[in-house]
This record gives sequence, C-alpha cells and structure tokens, in this order.
Amino acid sequence: MSSYLALAVVAGLAGVERKGVLQAMLSRPIALGTIVGLALGDVTGGLLVAVPLELLWLGAVNLGAALPVHEALGAAAVAGGAVLAGEALGTGVTMPVAALAVVTSAPLAVLGRTAERAIERANERLVDRAEVLVATDPAAAARANVRGLALPFLLPAVLAPAGAAVTALVVPALLRAAPSLATPLSIAWVAFAVIAAAAGAFSVRAARAGKVFFAAATAAAVVGAAVLAGVSR
Amino acid sequence: MTRVSSAARTRAFLRSLLLQAAWNRRGMQNLGFEYAIAPALDELYPDPERRRDAAARHLGFFNCHPYMAAAILGGAIHHEERVARGEESPATPQRYKQTLQGPLAAIGDGFFWTALRPFFGAVAALGALLFGWPAVLLAITIYNAIHLALRVHMFRAGYRQGDAVIGAIAAMSLPSAAERLRLGTAAFCGVAAAAFLVDGAQALGPIATALALAAAIAGQIALRSGASVLAVAYGVLLVTTGAGLVALRLPGGS
Repeated sequence: MSSYLALAVVAGLAGVERKGVLQAMLSRPIALGTIVGLALGDVTGGLLVAVPLELLWLGAVNLGAALPVHEALGAAAVAGGAVLAGEALGTGVTMPVAALAVVTSAPLAVLGRTAERAIERANERLVDRAEVLVATDPAAAARANVRGLALPFLLPAVLAPAGAAVTALVVPALLRAAPSLATPLSIAWVAFAVIAAAAGAFSVRAARAGKVFFAAATAAAVVGAAVLAGVSR
Repeated sequence: MTRVSSAARTRAFLRSLLLQAAWNRRGMQNLGFEYAIAPALDELYPDPERRRDAAARHLGFFNCHPYMAAAILGGAIHHEERVARGEESPATPQRYKQTLQGPLAAIGDGFFWTALRPFFGAVAALGALLFGWPAVLLAITIYNAIHLALRVHMFRAGYRQGDAVIGAIAAMSLPSAAERLRLGTAAFCGVAAAAFLVDGAQALGPIATALALAAAIAGQIALRSGASVLAVAYGVLLVTTGAGLVALRLPGGS
C-alpha cells in the first residue's frame, strides 16, 4: 500500500510540475520514470521503461491551446506498474514486463488529455470567482490562481496508481500462465524501443531530421556491431 | 512609491513560475499573470481603488509561452510604474501584453518546446542507455541552468527596457540555435535506436534482432504515413509478439 501512496504523491507532483509550476522537465518520462523507480525501490527498472517512453513522447508538447497526450500520467503508470509487476514476479523489470506494462498502462496518457481538457473548462470557475473578488479583495483574486493546482495533482495521483495496480495484477498472472510469451515480448520490446526513437526523431520539426536519424543510426549500429564482434573474438 | 522594489520584483518573478496554474479556455493564463504581477501592484498602488483597477486590467486575456512570459511580466511592471507616475495611460500595460504575447509565444514554442527540451530529452535518454541515471540528472540540471538563466535574463530585460525588450530577445538568435538543436535531437535518437538494437542482439541473438528491426521499419513507414505514435507503438508491440510466437514454433526456433 505504501508503494501505491508513494506513486500517487510522485505522480501528483509531476502532474502539477508538468504545466502549472516551473516546467523544469521533472515530469518528462525520462525524469519521472527514474523518480518513480527510486520511490518504489528499483531505479534501474524505472529507467528501463523511461528511456523509450521519453523518446516516444518527445513531441508531446503543449503548443498554445493544443493539448498533447498526458505523458506524465502515462509514464508514471507504466513505470510504476512495471516496477510493481517485476517485484511480484521476483525478476525485477525485464523486457517482457516492460512491454506488457506499456500495453496495459500507456493508454492512460490519452485519457489524461481528455481529463485535462475538462480541467481547463473547470478552471473557468476560478476566473469567475477572481472577477468577483477583484472588486473587493485583489489579493484574494490573485490567490485563486493557486487553487488551479488541485485538479492537475489529483488526476495523475488517482489514475497512475490505478493503472499500475492493473499492470501489477495482470502482467505477473499472464507471464506465469504463458511463459512462452517471454521471448516474443522481449523481441517486441526491442522493436518498440527502436520505433520510439524513430518517433522522437520524426517529431522534431526539421526537414532533414529523418536523414540525420537514419545516418546516425546506421553509423552507430556499424560501430556497435564492430565492438560486439571484437568482444566475441 | 513609483518604483517597484527589488524584493517585490523577485516575488513577481517567482510567482511567474506558476503562470499556468489555473490555465483556462476563456482567459488562458490571465489568472496566472494577475497572480504574478500582484506584488508589484501592491507597492505601486497604495490607493485601494487604483489597486483594484490595476488588478482588474490584468485579469484580461493573456497567453504566451510560459518561459517567454517572464519578459512580458518584466515589461508590464515597467509600464505599470509609468502609469503610477502618471506618464502613461492605464491601458498601456494591457496593450503591451497584447502586442508581445503572440510573437514571443511563437519564439518560445519554436525554441524551448520544439528544440531545447526535446534535445535534452534525447541527450538524457541516450545518456541513460550509456551511463545510467547520473546522465539523466546531469542533462536535466544543465537544461534547467539554461532555461532559468534565460527566464531571469528576459524578466530583467523586460523590466529595464520595456518596449525595447524585443531587441534583446532578437539578439539571442533563438530560431537559428533551434534548427541546430533539432538536428542534434534527430542524431541522438538515431544513436539510441542503434543502441537498442545492439543491446537486443546481445540479449536475444541476431535473428530475434532482425525480426525487431523489420517490425520497427514497418512501424516507421506507418509513422510517416501519419498514423498516431501510440497506435504505431501498440501495433509494433502486438505484431512483433505474434510474429515472435510464430517464429519460435518454426523448425529451428528455440
């Protein structure tokens, strides 16, 4: 239970940092996955899922009134679920656990976007309140702004532990019932990580991004293969 | 008092870090702006009626990039000082905000959100693959050193220069730096993709890695044809798992 409470607090604070306070990258998947792993006692496991999620959602940015998916909610739920499922299995976060955690919890990022739209509409009530207060107590009108942090905290604080709980329940049961899934899921995890990196490169708004991505990937793969060949000799 | 004290300006800047706390569809960052500028208005308008009028005008619509808004906040305090001294019309601060919010939002979105932050996200991700969590800590520390220094610089420039802040921001050449950062991001993503494949080859062997690569190439084609990122990720995970199961049942599969 204390793990879920810790996840709720971390996810809630990330929900606030993501848009309402500071915006210092602490709610980005790469930081949040690491922090969730630290809070739940498995930094390496949190980091395993954080890296591809960061790249997958590199283009999730809030431009004007357009809302991206709620990448912080998605990352907290996936990382939390993966760590808790790995703990239940006694294996830590492996590639199959990470792949299934993405399948079960990543859609929360889309649900989070819908909820965020509702929060933005709900905040109009704070404006109504401030417009009334400003005639009598301008300081109180200004403070209405801070009340807007409550719902962005609650949204991931409730949904991230809920998503993680589903992952922690379903993933160990599935992998125990069908151990033959482990290798195919590991292959799928590698494919997912590569496509996440490609999605990250394609999300940057530069005409030559695709060419640069493929050139860098090819050069690094050749170097990596050469190093591997050298090691195996 | 017709000048805002350094302490009140500091409080206004710190409050600007909560600019989007109550982002809403009607006034967007209006509550956040009113909250941020309040310490300056408290000092400038000891007369309650003038204080109320000043607060009311800053409840008007406002939307900008949250980092770039620091320049507008500094400039609005600059103009409020002039209003308090009777040198400008009370409408000037709001006009100033309306004039600058669009152009500065475009610069901020183009530099911070679509260039600098993705760049450090990719650096942190690749660093984590190669060196573990300390690389994440280092990348985020450097990002924040840059972003906070620029925020403070723009707030000060806005306060000191008012309308001339545009020149100070133009001198920073953010759009040309953004293009280089975007290409750097794409390159780091490429290296990360290769690192995933090399790690996969070590853990799973060359045939499994070839299967993963084939799935990733199919996924890239889907991405380029406009499919959503999450849908492609799901497709890759499910199709590769299915293909892996079939491959393992073939003669020679292990």
